Amino acid sequence: MLVGISLENKLQNTGKPKDCADEMSQALLEVASQRCKRSYAKIFGYFAPRLRSYALKQMGNEALAMEMVQDTMANVWQKAHLFNAEKGSPSTWIFTIARNIRFDMLRKLKNRKEDICSDDLWPVLCEQTPDQNEVSLEEQVTLEQVGLLFNSLPDKQRAVIEAIYIDGKSQQEVADELAIPLGTVKSRTRLALQRLKDMLEDHD
Amino acid sequence: MINYHPTDKQLQQFAEGNISPALALVVSAHCDVCSQCQEKVDDINIELSSVIENVRAHDFKDPAFEKMLASIMHLPVIDTKPVVAPRIELDGRFFDVPRPLQRFVKNTGNWSHLLGKVWQAPVDLGDAGEANFIYMEKGGRVPEHTHKGTELTLVVDGEFSDGLADYDSGDFIIMDNEHIHSPHSNAVEGCLVFSIVDKPLHFTSGIARLLNPFSHLFFK
Ligand SMILES: [Zn+2]
Repeated sequence: MLVGISLENKLQNTGKPKDCADEMSQALLEVASQRCKRSYAKIFGYFAPRLRSYALKQMGNEALAMEMVQDTMANVWQKAHLFNAEKGSPSTWIFTIARNIRFDMLRKLKNRKEDICSDDLWPVLCEQTPDQNEVSLEEQVTLEQVGLLFNSLPDKQRAVIEAIYIDGKSQQEVADELAIPLGTVKSRTRLALQRLKDMLEDHD
Repeated sequence: MINYHPTDKQLQQFAEGNISPALALVVSAHCDVCSQCQEKVDDINIELSSVIENVRAHDFKDPAFEKMLASIMHLPVIDTKPVVAPRIELDGRFFDVPRPLQRFVKNTGNWSHLLGKVWQAPVDLGDAGEANFIYMEKGGRVPEHTHKGTELTLVVDGEFSDGLADYDSGDFIIMDNEHIHSPHSNAVEGCLVFSIVDKPLHFTSGIARLLNPFSHLFFK
């Protein structure tokens, strides 16, 4: 027994996968927002034993398997705020973390001195917002201010910014709607925000 | 418009993590700009993760788990902040690069004029292969060559042709000893690519053959 929290492992026998995913999503949210230890214990009780069986198959070694479980579950605790239920289920998220941990562990075992690590290859544990301009702009200015400068943007950039920042659509939705690649939406967003930022700085 | 994608098998290996670091890097960079392949990878991830759901769970009464749980909950939260995306600068022009390649941008201070209108900035990947950002100005051409090993290329920005096909930003290209090509760009804006080779190139025509003894010095 640990600070009054008991390990729960009952979930594996109950409910449908969907119910379980919802329950785990909720638990992850509570870990992210309140550092809820009870919720974390629930997640741990469900996933750690499964990860251990999986890791043992992958690594073929009990000690390495436990290291893989430990590192994976530590990431879940420390970076729960990076879980996004809209992007996938908790088990997919945790699986991809385990995949990354395993990749790095295997490279380390081979003593490779490579300047490549899983964080670069699979953006599982990255912030959703890749661009500083988007963040700092949102912090610094109101949409209203930006709106005043809006009309000077090129049409294509304005359409994208409008869809994302006014209609609240995701970049992917905008890409689908305009039938253009996601990369183009991203670069138009970036260019437009940079332009707006430059204009705002000129205004100051 | 992206026309050249990794194969489904390569995407599968990428999602599994059973892939060489060099190939993973170029596939990852491609997926960063290709929503079509990213969606495929997302689907494969979902499929793969069902293993976790379906595996017979290890007995959780093992005291090792309780110890592990306690030690993990002592760890602090790791607050990750989005970083400013670095861009490549060459002659006053700035290029956005796919996220997986951004960490290597800081190593590209040393652009060297290679041949004619072709520029190169080496990137240190350790044992994973010899990587370069290569920029072809309009009219720039890499002499015709084949490959002793594998050459992986991602078009970062611009368009080029190589006698085999025409490529555009985001295209994923894999070449080996069965391919002879001569990359050149006729685009006004030129073309920036990221390329990894595991063995030196072998130049095949005309005076460029004279380069072979030195090919390990560049385009490695
Ligand atoms: Zn693709």
